[in-house]
Amino acid sequence: MIKLTNISKTFGEVRALHKVNLNIYPGTIHGIIGENGAGKSTLMKILTGFIRRSSGNVIYQSKNINLQSPRDAREIGIGMLYQEPLDFPLLTVLDNFMTGGSSFPPSRQRANLSRLCSDFGFDLDPDCRVNQITVGERQQLELLRLIQQGTKILILDEPTSGISEKQQDLLFTALRNLKAGGTAILLVSHKLDEIELLCDDVTVLRHGEVTAYWKRPFDRDAMLLAMFDTVPESKPTAVNYTAVEPVLDFHKVSSGKGRSGLNSVSTTIRAGEVVGLAGVDGSGQSVFLQLAFGLLQPDSGRISRSRESVSPAFLPADRLAEGLVPGLTIREHQILSSNIGPVITSKSGLAKTRRAIKSYNIVGSPETAVKDLSGGNLQRLLLSLIPNDVQLILMENPTRGLDLQSASWTWEQLHNRITPDGTIIFASPDLEELLQQSSRILTFYNGSITLDTPAHATNYRQLSRAVTGEKDPAI
Amino acid sequence: MKHITILLQTILAACFLFFSLNSSFGADSKYPFGLLMVGPSNDHGWSQAHFEAGKEMEKIFPGAEMIYIDKVNPADRPGITIPMLVDDLVSKGAKLIIGNSDDMKDGMREASMMHPEINFIHISGDDVITGKSGVNLSNLMGRMTYGKMMAGFTAAMSSQTGKIAYLGPLINAETRRLTAAAYLGARYAWTKIRKKDPADLKFKISWIGFWFNIPGVTSDPTLVAGSFIDSGYDVIISGIDTTEALVVAGQKRKGGKDVLAIPYDYKNGCSSAPEACLGVPYFNWVPGYTRLIGNSMTGKWKQEFLWLSPDWKSINNPKTSPIGFKTGDGFDEKNRKALTDFQASLADGSLKLFTGPLNFQDGTVFLKDKVSATDEQIWNLPQLLEGMGGASK
Amino acid sequence: MTSSLGIPRFIIITVPALGVVSLLLLSLGISPLTIAITLARGSVLSWLKFNHVLSVWIPLLLCSCGLLFTFRAGLWNIGIEGQVVCGAIGATLVLRLGNTYLPAAMLLSLSFLSAFLAGGVWGALAGFLKNRGGVNEIFGGLGLNFVAQGAILWFILGPWKREGMASMSGTDLFARELWMWVPRGWRTAPAALILTVTVFLFTAFILSATRFGLKIKAVGLNPKASRLFGINPDLTGFTAMIIGGGLAGLAGAVQVSCVYHRLIPSISSGYGYLALLIVMLANYKVTLTPIICLLFACLTAGSIQLPITLQIDSSLSGVIQGTLVLSGLLAHGLQQRRLLRKGS
Repeated sequence: MIKLTNISKTFGEVRALHKVNLNIYPGTIHGIIGENGAGKSTLMKILTGFIRRSSGNVIYQSKNINLQSPRDAREIGIGMLYQEPLDFPLLTVLDNFMTGGSSFPPSRQRANLSRLCSDFGFDLDPDCRVNQITVGERQQLELLRLIQQGTKILILDEPTSGISEKQQDLLFTALRNLKAGGTAILLVSHKLDEIELLCDDVTVLRHGEVTAYWKRPFDRDAMLLAMFDTVPESKPTAVNYTAVEPVLDFHKVSSGKGRSGLNSVSTTIRAGEVVGLAGVDGSGQSVFLQLAFGLLQPDSGRISRSRESVSPAFLPADRLAEGLVPGLTIREHQILSSNIGPVITSKSGLAKTRRAIKSYNIVGSPETAVKDLSGGNLQRLLLSLIPNDVQLILMENPTRGLDLQSASWTWEQLHNRITPDGTIIFASPDLEELLQQSSRILTFYNGSITLDTPAHATNYRQLSRAVTGEKDPAI
Repeated sequence: MKHITILLQTILAACFLFFSLNSSFGADSKYPFGLLMVGPSNDHGWSQAHFEAGKEMEKIFPGAEMIYIDKVNPADRPGITIPMLVDDLVSKGAKLIIGNSDDMKDGMREASMMHPEINFIHISGDDVITGKSGVNLSNLMGRMTYGKMMAGFTAAMSSQTGKIAYLGPLINAETRRLTAAAYLGARYAWTKIRKKDPADLKFKISWIGFWFNIPGVTSDPTLVAGSFIDSGYDVIISGIDTTEALVVAGQKRKGGKDVLAIPYDYKNGCSSAPEACLGVPYFNWVPGYTRLIGNSMTGKWKQEFLWLSPDWKSINNPKTSPIGFKTGDGFDEKNRKALTDFQASLADGSLKLFTGPLNFQDGTVFLKDKVSATDEQIWNLPQLLEGMGGASK
Repeated sequence: MTSSLGIPRFIIITVPALGVVSLLLLSLGISPLTIAITLARGSVLSWLKFNHVLSVWIPLLLCSCGLLFTFRAGLWNIGIEGQVVCGAIGATLVLRLGNTYLPAAMLLSLSFLSAFLAGGVWGALAGFLKNRGGVNEIFGGLGLNFVAQGAILWFILGPWKREGMASMSGTDLFARELWMWVPRGWRTAPAALILTVTVFLFTAFILSATRFGLKIKAVGLNPKASRLFGINPDLTGFTAMIIGGGLAGLAGAVQVSCVYHRLIPSISSGYGYLALLIVMLANYKVTLTPIICLLFACLTAGSIQLPITLQIDSSLSGVIQGTLVLSGLLAHGLQQRRLLRKGS
């Protein structure tokens, strides 16, 4: 039906896709799997016309076509169900169903909607406002709208995150029905269970390249092997302190924030631990960290920190957007993070800043605006801003965007800081990093902790199975 | 450096040019005078009457030159104050300044103290009586009470429903005086000429809040006039400076309603809807200006409080009568004689409408039987009269 | 980069704005040069006229200083107009106390304090609506402007009406000794001038040389990150709103005690809205603000010359100012967009 050959896409120096081939046939469900950053969303954006490919061909009904805009994609019948529903929350279900330009009178559309609902077993109230229904129902509405528009190639991006089990069953039935009706379906997912359940064939992406393609039946181990890098033997962790006093205690904590929220998480973090949080992006690690710091308040449950005297430090994933103030200089950041003031002169904090620049190897002068710093420098600046007396350090993707050398330097600094009283909690998508740097690993899946293990008692294989949702994965 | 020198020289040269232009204003044969108008100079009302009188002065007195500025009110010109404008007019050589609104009282007083060498005419103020300003400021006003009496008289002669509305500006002594005069004229026509029961005469006043419409600040006079007509009032007397009442009456007339209006202030006030216009009481500032400016030009200035009566020999004479009343196309000629008789008895003093028994709106006695009010009592009328509808304060 | 951006941006916004105005004037058959000369002569070329410019400059700069605080904190304090009005009401409240046996100078000082408090409370209300009620400060501010305008009308037509008559021309004049002292040949009260310069220096000092100023800046630039530095962005923004409202209130006090000597319905003279534009044109820079205030004060005070000397319909000055504001905003918007695009 549609055929992609040798599709490549580069953003500046970065190679997002390299010579990707993909065949999509009518009446099949094709799974696309891969790690975060493997190139899945780039590929989908090319198919839906949001970005243009750098090279390669898209062949539709044996003709070369040029997907220049989302409109082009819609015209040949490509429709996508996004992770976050693209609807108008303040309009009614029927209003939303009618958007997309068909000229039927509303009474006809109402009939269409109820016919489609009964076809798929969905229960949608046409007059209910969309902001009052659940994510799963919004997804159903979006799906019906796409079908009504005559979508022949349906793309679904992580469709089961954030919806209930019953809704998931309904969705799968609907997809099977559509498949029987001849629609080509492309399913992007992390969850290998779903792939095994639904897909006829699967393509694995890694670092922008296709690493594997299989037809049914699938071999789970082979899929994992193709998704993640070669499994290295874990080195022993660098931390040797024995965990003693509790530092942070989560008791049945739930939150609705983030993609999957947090479902009744209970755990205790002790002094001296370096805790790594594993999991696919948005499985709850980020919410966990923000709750731990106090940026978010839990919907239910209780969080207790044993030593409230010094507030923890938090290093967010998006350093410039969330961790630093882009318009301020390095010196101004150093002033804010210490107790200089109330009057500030051009000399305030200068000595401290010079020291930090020297010891943390930051390329820049005290008056350099932080927006002009590169990723590695930003991370080093953030590290230098952590006051010496801080006992609990929370980090999201501490080495994201850093080259190997900077990453290992960063970890050296962090480990140097760790005293028997200190604790580090960090989230990382890199299983290897987790295994190497943590003393204990918590694995998140769909907002719950599915695996809590000392780092030395687990390995790459078990972690990779745990993050993709396998229950009780073997070592 | 050279560029800067050239730049400086140019600026200097330009400055000298300006100053020499400035001084040319001050030539002795010229007599510039300033006019500060509260509304637009083409409002077909109060301000235009002043503007045209000012133009007339330029013809009457050779050398007289008017420098004017209109819309002098804090809503239209935020941040601009009367003393500021006076400073400016004086710097342009003005020897006399006219301020045409009661609202300018505070500013005129302040400015006249700052510029004792300049003469000031404050229209409709009373600082001369209260003694609050120096001898360089005179007050000028026409006895519009007579004009309003004629307006009220004509209205009551023409009304079929006996419901007469008055579109009032804001409440102060002046507007109370004028509405009372219009009411007394109407009551006279209703009871003495048409011989009807005074209880059947309804006379209602709605105040919009200012002399003209300021959107968002005042009530909209167009809406107020419309609601008058909708509730059965068939003659509207306008007390504001602009012609909304007449315009609305004209529109309603086209829609088949037999309604009439009486505009105010300006002798051509009927022009926006002549067929709906009963007549217009108007000011003619020429006589007053001629006297005060003439005195000032010839060095005979003295502080005066002028409250000028119409020239009863010919109330529409543009040279001599400060107050006039012109009938419009809506005026029924069969009432002509009654109007002329009314005017004649006002002129010879045989008819004094501000004569007892008259009560105030709250029922207290204003004038006992057969007692006529003094000028001072009329000027400072503290309340509306019994029989009038509308707020007194 | 930041330091070099200031002046070019000012030019980038001003030049097209002036260009549009010139085109407009030319299309009406009026020479822009004549207008420019007339405006200049009406504003700076005599001591008296310059005094009038100063009497506009003083409240404008006070409002702008208030806005510098709120803009720095990332807040669009459009409610500044109402804060000026409330300040004026607060000042009048003290000046109408009557028999207090306090010396006039004391009463005047108290009136300024009261104006600062009244404006501050009004600013705090907008901040409170934002923090607790989730009402964007733009909408909250606009609503509060209407409330303030209603309040001032109520005071003027109700409890504070003139002897014998309620009038839109305002309350009675204050007693002479409660007018700010103005030397002979001046038209501006030196005390107000000194106050304004002091407020400006205070603003400059707080914003650029204190930890508190740095906190405000951090909150304005990145509220999310500021929390990681132990700053409470809500509280900091709230404080900025109070200071901003208080300074705007001072402008109201100046209008009451130095310019009109009474409370009038349009006491704010639209200076709050004008100051919004000024601070934006100044690119939120402290140093440029008084200069641009002076330019706009010249335009306001000088524009009265158009009807007087050129007999140009008086509304044209309004059109010129409006066009300047609009094209200024447009140029600003386009530039922001270009910066954004560069950023992404």
